Amino acid sequence: MKSAFNKLNPIARRDFMMRTAQAALGVTVMPSLNLAAAGTTGAGTPGFGKAKNVIFLWMGGGMTHIDTWDPKDGPTKGPTDPIKVNAGSGNMDRLGGTMEKMAKVANKFSIIRSMSSKTGVHDQGTYVMKTGYEPRGTIVHPCIGAWASHFLGRIKGPTLPDSVVVNSGNAFPGAGFFPTTMSPIPISNPESGLQNIKPTTSDEQFKKRLSLTDEFDTSFRKKFQSDDVKSYSEFYDETVKLMKSEDLKAFDLSKEPEALRAKYGRNNFGQGALLARRLVQAGVRFVEVQSGGWDMHNTIETALGTTAATMDNVFATLIEDLISNGLFESTMIVMGSEFGRTPDINENDGRDHYPLAYSTVFAGGGVKGGFVYGSTDKEGRRVADKQCTPQDFQATIGHAMGLPVDEVVMSPSNRPFTVGDKGVPVTDIFA
Amino acid sequence: MKQTTKLLSSLLVSALVASSAFAEIRTWTDTSGRQVTASFIGLDGEDIILKTADGATHKFALTRLSPEDQALAKSMKPSEEPVMLANATVAQASAAVDRLVANGLVRANPARLKMNPPKAPIKSFNPMANDEQFVRRVYLDIVGRIPNYSETMQFVQDTNPNKRAKLIDMLLDSPGYNSNTYNYFAEMLRVKDRLEQDNLRGVPYINWMQHQIEKNVTWDKMVFEMLTAKGKMWQDGAAGYLLRDAGMPLDNLANTLAVFLGTDVACAQCHDHPFSDWTQHQFYEMASFFGATTTRMTAAANRKKGKDSSGMMAMNAMQDLMPKIEEIVTKSGGDIKRLRNGIRNYMGANNAIVGDMDTNSMKLPHDYKYPDAKPNDPVEPQFITWSKNDKNLPAYKQKMKSAEELRPAFAKWVTDPTNPRFAMAIANRMWKRAFGQGISEPVTNIDDPKQSVNPELLIHLAQEMVRVKFDIKAFMRIIYNTRAYQSEATSEKIAMGEPYYFQGPLLRRMSAEQAWDSYMTLVLGDPDKYAKPLEDLYSRSIDLDLSNPKLDAQTVLVKYDAFRKMAEKERALMGGGLAEAGGDDMMMDSGKAKGKGKAEAKPAGDMMENASLTYNGMVLRRAATLEQPAPNGHFLIDFGQSPRALIDGSVKTGSVPQVLMMMNGKAQQMLTSPDSLIFRTMEKVKSPPEKVEALFVSVLNRRPTLAEKDIAKRALSGGDDGYANMIWALINTREFIFVQ
Repeated sequence: MKSAFNKLNPIARRDFMMRTAQAALGVTVMPSLNLAAAGTTGAGTPGFGKAKNVIFLWMGGGMTHIDTWDPKDGPTKGPTDPIKVNAGSGNMDRLGGTMEKMAKVANKFSIIRSMSSKTGVHDQGTYVMKTGYEPRGTIVHPCIGAWASHFLGRIKGPTLPDSVVVNSGNAFPGAGFFPTTMSPIPISNPESGLQNIKPTTSDEQFKKRLSLTDEFDTSFRKKFQSDDVKSYSEFYDETVKLMKSEDLKAFDLSKEPEALRAKYGRNNFGQGALLARRLVQAGVRFVEVQSGGWDMHNTIETALGTTAATMDNVFATLIEDLISNGLFESTMIVMGSEFGRTPDINENDGRDHYPLAYSTVFAGGGVKGGFVYGSTDKEGRRVADKQCTPQDFQATIGHAMGLPVDEVVMSPSNRPFTVGDKGVPVTDIFA
Repeated sequence: MKQTTKLLSSLLVSALVASSAFAEIRTWTDTSGRQVTASFIGLDGEDIILKTADGATHKFALTRLSPEDQALAKSMKPSEEPVMLANATVAQASAAVDRLVANGLVRANPARLKMNPPKAPIKSFNPMANDEQFVRRVYLDIVGRIPNYSETMQFVQDTNPNKRAKLIDMLLDSPGYNSNTYNYFAEMLRVKDRLEQDNLRGVPYINWMQHQIEKNVTWDKMVFEMLTAKGKMWQDGAAGYLLRDAGMPLDNLANTLAVFLGTDVACAQCHDHPFSDWTQHQFYEMASFFGATTTRMTAAANRKKGKDSSGMMAMNAMQDLMPKIEEIVTKSGGDIKRLRNGIRNYMGANNAIVGDMDTNSMKLPHDYKYPDAKPNDPVEPQFITWSKNDKNLPAYKQKMKSAEELRPAFAKWVTDPTNPRFAMAIANRMWKRAFGQGISEPVTNIDDPKQSVNPELLIHLAQEMVRVKFDIKAFMRIIYNTRAYQSEATSEKIAMGEPYYFQGPLLRRMSAEQAWDSYMTLVLGDPDKYAKPLEDLYSRSIDLDLSNPKLDAQTVLVKYDAFRKMAEKERALMGGGLAEAGGDDMMMDSGKAKGKGKAEAKPAGDMMENASLTYNGMVLRRAATLEQPAPNGHFLIDFGQSPRALIDGSVKTGSVPQVLMMMNGKAQQMLTSPDSLIFRTMEKVKSPPEKVEALFVSVLNRRPTLAEKDIAKRALSGGDDGYANMIWALINTREFIFVQ
């Protein structure tokens, strides 16, 4: 037993110890145990930690900053006029004309208007915004949900995932170099929830089939003890536990009142956000809800139409819904995108990719209301003040969740990594 | 010829001992003063062997060289590279590869000893894979599916000593090779059915690519076509390559360099590359080759101001006709709100065209910040180099005086046998296909070949790719016939990022396409008998000539109506939406013909010829013939098929939805239902032990062990569900989804 245990890589070993502790004590292991076993260089500084849960709204395609969160006058203004906001005592002046509902709840969120990244390519931009690292061929970096599982432990173990990604067929980059069990569960369609969750036979027969699989598979698993094979076996174990779990009803949107479902909007993004609230309520720590349609190279006026209105409505409804369920103080909503869009309108009346200046938004979980951090110049071309990188962005989320962002964790290949690649959390946005 | 073979083996022996060294290229002069630039390979009796930059070897009498060069040749050390004559046999070629792999294994040991904990030295290749392992692997690798019962038995019982080579030949020439190869390239090139902008579909591009593979068009020709195609996608399918990334020419270029040349310059798009030598300026110099290329008819018009171009016509057509169209629709009682986007998209699709402009308009970005040039400066095209001498290679001698010569010049440079990375990039990728890992990783960024785990092997494979003239099939034949490939899969643990030396293939999880096509094999026996129903209704109905000044609103509407009808027909033929989670419908009112709730396989699209079999709404055909990529919620997506956004974007790890699907999904129900092919195969034999054997051979392509026979006996004693339980159990083993 002992020798097999020592053969595990540090992370698997840590995972194993955590599970044992969970089983024995019924609690999540102390961070100190994590550190010792993960082979880190020492304890980091725990973060702010008020955001027990995070809902990450992902605006795929590159959300135009000028038409939404960072409105401008003059030549780069775009098709809509900026509108006034209800910012309370905060310094937020106004929003893009498409953000009508968000303007009314401006006292509930903060904007970072000084985001700046290095890449204008969708894939790389998405990757760096979701992991804090530039993509490399030799390693896959974890998403923030997996980092949280690493530092804070699993919430409930197999019966409820720590992280979920909604509106996506896969969870890439998922757990990165952490064990794949820390990978978010992808939900392709919020309406259908977790597909295939019910066995097609009686429980008894299902059990019989499972044990038959184990018997037939023994020699193969003995011969090939690679991580790939092992993690598959773990997935089977966890999935079987999940199938029996009470927590499953968190995935079932039909339990929500019709009126609320309509208010969120009967589209994948709206229903996905509602599902996120249900999951957070059930205890899921990190939910990413994906939405698309922001790659507006052509006729931005038309393109903005439904995409911006949908986003505006979903975001505002989610804030309201979290408040009315008493979850807003402990749940942080984050909105991000791979980059912004060019201040200049192109020859096709659209805007192209623009990583040099864009915005991200934070709400709840201890975030200030009506607050703007950083700024861009008059036409939205350059960051004028307090530049914030994707690394800082990741570190900010990690900090809000209480993760030690300065703590170095060694990957199985013995390379050092931190939450947000040494980014500095933007602590100004927290009250 | 005989002498050369002897020389070859002696050189190889010396290569085993000596460490790496690369032949120096110099200019040789013959007795009449003619010169040739080539590297010295060796002497063979009275002859000298030289190799020119294109990878070809030349053997001629030493006395033809000038006396000085003769003397020099006699004093030079022979090259340590294996020499392949143009017409070397597959066996010779495979043996040469094996020698280089073997050298690499020996060289790996000091590094393995230094690892923590130290790894035992590798003495040689893994043991030879047995016939059962081999037949399963080679079917999966070449035709993308497991062999069925009779295919497995036929091979295992064949007593011909040459049966492996025979099987490889047979599989390489079967239709499965085409769809499997297509799956690989489609993932690499991010081929999509539905393109983000407008209503443009990638169908003609997909068909083009499949035809190229069917005809075994060589890789250099395929790439050349993709880079130089002109017109709409349905006029030249290869135009799909640039139209795939319409509006993102810089992204497209970064992907072009990563995929075809194994060179990652994505960072240089926005700033100087932090590690390699690429500068942002160099990136724009490369982009400049596409500075006179446009992917939109109207964009061409905007740039050629004042000219009466076809682009201008197209723009006018869009602007002028739309109000008239709206008027007609409204008058006839149609709901323009519902139709407007569809009509616009239909016209917009006809705006997507790869065209050339008169002038190169490439400029540096407005925020260019390096001292060597100013923002917005025009940029002249220039090829990147990987080493000092590259500029002298024939690949670099390209004519590019006029704007229209730019793209062809770029394409010729990329695909030239002497391009320092083109052959190497594809060779490295093809190696990875067979072994699960490239010699240089990542395959999109070879950077310095000498830093790879086996530089001699990598360079040799690149030369082999040139020698076989970029014939992918011929190249794969060599690889599949190597001893290295035919070894057992490596069972030792390889950590992420740890170098691997190819003592055998790595254990690999099936790709999504391999898993799906294997399911299809279990259901259909030979899935290639169920081809795509119709060829490209889309291409036949989408075309509209926007540049025709006589085009009127009525014509647009009539053609649009025909287009929609074709789309409906196609839908019906595809068997309706593939998954319940249908995603966004691009057509407004689709004729969704979902075959719902019926347990038996039945033809979809009633009354239509060649319609596909479906089961519970799943169309039972090869992955390569389904929508690209499959819609969310489909088996393929849950299994990790690439969403086709990233190069090589598939995922090979498990997930909860995937496991749920394997245990409880429709595909599983299909296999365990009594009318599935496995049951029918079992019915051909009488006794329970024979049935169990048929089951094992069908699913795992091997006979059960004694212990497994006992387990099966016990399982069957429990009642009628015994066989269904066993199928379920075998499909859900790790052994099933991993390729040994």
